[in-house]
Amino acid sequence: MMKKRFGSRHIGALLLLLILALIPVIIRNTYIQTIFILIFYTASASLAWSVLGGLTGQLSLGHAAFMGLGAYTSTLLLVNANLSPWLSIPIAFVFVGLICMLLLSPCFVLHGPYFTLVTIAFSYAFLNLFTNWDYAGKGQGIVLPFGAEDFALMRFKSKTSYFYIALCMMVLFYIVLRLIDRSKLGYGLKTVREDEGTANAIGISPLKYKMIATFISAGMIAVCGVFYANYFRFIDPEIMAESQAIEYVLPAIIGGIGSVTGPLIGAFIIVPLSQYLNAALSSVVSGANLVVYAVILIAVVMFQPTGIMGWYQNSKLKKKLSGFFDNLDRKLGFDKSQNA
Amino acid sequence: MATLLELNNISKSFKGLKAVNDVSFSVEEKSITGIIGSNGAGKTTLFNMISGVFPPTEGTVIYKGKDLASVKPYQYSSIGIARTFQIMKPLKHMTVMENVTSGALFGRRNIKSAKEAEEYALEILNFTGLYERRDVLPGSMGTPFKKRLEVARALATDPELLLLDEVMAGLNPTETDDAIELFRKINERGITILLIEHVMRAVANLCETVVVMHHGEKITEGTPEQVMNDPYVIEIYLGKEDETDG
Repeated sequence: MMKKRFGSRHIGALLLLLILALIPVIIRNTYIQTIFILIFYTASASLAWSVLGGLTGQLSLGHAAFMGLGAYTSTLLLVNANLSPWLSIPIAFVFVGLICMLLLSPCFVLHGPYFTLVTIAFSYAFLNLFTNWDYAGKGQGIVLPFGAEDFALMRFKSKTSYFYIALCMMVLFYIVLRLIDRSKLGYGLKTVREDEGTANAIGISPLKYKMIATFISAGMIAVCGVFYANYFRFIDPEIMAESQAIEYVLPAIIGGIGSVTGPLIGAFIIVPLSQYLNAALSSVVSGANLVVYAVILIAVVMFQPTGIMGWYQNSKLKKKLSGFFDNLDRKLGFDKSQNA
Repeated sequence: MATLLELNNISKSFKGLKAVNDVSFSVEEKSITGIIGSNGAGKTTLFNMISGVFPPTEGTVIYKGKDLASVKPYQYSSIGIARTFQIMKPLKHMTVMENVTSGALFGRRNIKSAKEAEEYALEILNFTGLYERRDVLPGSMGTPFKKRLEVARALATDPELLLLDEVMAGLNPTETDDAIELFRKINERGITILLIEHVMRAVANLCETVVVMHHGEKITEGTPEQVMNDPYVIEIYLGKEDETDG
């Protein structure tokens, strides 16, 4: 595979990013902005999940709990020590990453559904712990302090500021995943996913790489948790439930498990879809939106288990797009041979 | 020539079943040694003990004068032992190139940058005749190429001792000849080869020493010619002479 230098593909991606960044300027409607914030947030969480679930193949349903740990870490630091959420981002990353890595490390001998079951158990353990923990507000949860707009406290009146924070988070996570995917670490993780016997035979310790993946994955979703707490300004233990974790797993499944772009595309499809179904159908028959949602999911899993990216990799569309960009590269003078 | 690998009275029991019983032999540096024997003779179990998949119940495996008992499974490639699997284990969702790159990144070379590893992988792909297929997924290739991929990935870890588990099974005569040539070339690079094989033509062609196993025990050892003229080996493979006559 040839490594592409800066070319029309990058320009295309930057243009797309620019369009996204201009949305709040063009569309003043708060509802639309809210949906975009939700998309960015879900995409970030799904990207975080896919470090462990997609790249390493350890399907976790405990990521809502890891997100919740991040949200609680930031909130408790803010309420009790008045620490800026910006500072609690790295703290939450390292703290939650380490905790999850240590807690899950004995469970890595389990494979497939058995590992998944353990992660569900962990999420309920945390849910119950926080429901009964006085210091963390018990089941009522914690309301973040209200007050004047304050950048240092990540407190804004307008949605637009949150929009940009979420967008930055998503872009940053995507870049991190791209870098991991192409690095030695990425090769190690993917080899462990494919076959642990082979991993051992070529010198990769499955345990070590699963631990690294957990640290990064849990740390990243803890950062999503910091955003969640400061955006919604209210957290309770329910955010840790396994049913919430599914929200973070689905975009990756729809978009294509194991692909870096998959969770991103999945989130851009699933979030607006569920919002639309909710608005259009729940008033007709309550719960109808969830039925339609479930049917779509079943259809994807049955007919396109590799997700959208799995289809795209072997599609004519990819060839066409690829040809189009190569052509553009030549016309714009980004061609390798001309550069060299 | 010095001894690279030494098996001292190794045995392996799976609960009540003794899969390998008191086997000893040694492998000379830069040699090609073959292990033959019927199905269930304990050949793959022997390989699994040498490559660290599980430890022997009794006995020791000595590699370059060092007991391997304390070496962890994933550390074997860093001391120069690489293997292929009889039941092929390609990394299914990774291209041929990525499969081999993974071997190059870890293993004894332990290359840090993915780019450098890719260059080295291309060299290995060229050497093993997989260059044209570098961008396809292993699943879309036939058995001969999947077997080659197993060898290429093992080779990418830069081994001193290469363990080949029935890499020629299921190949037609032409493909077998190609494989034999490849293993010669690998051996000429100074890599010691220990192989399990059913294809007698390949064993006779390649190996300097052949170890014969039967029911978990080593029954004889020698040059291919000696082994194939051994009355006991003939008895096991073809039955007793007087029985067939009578």
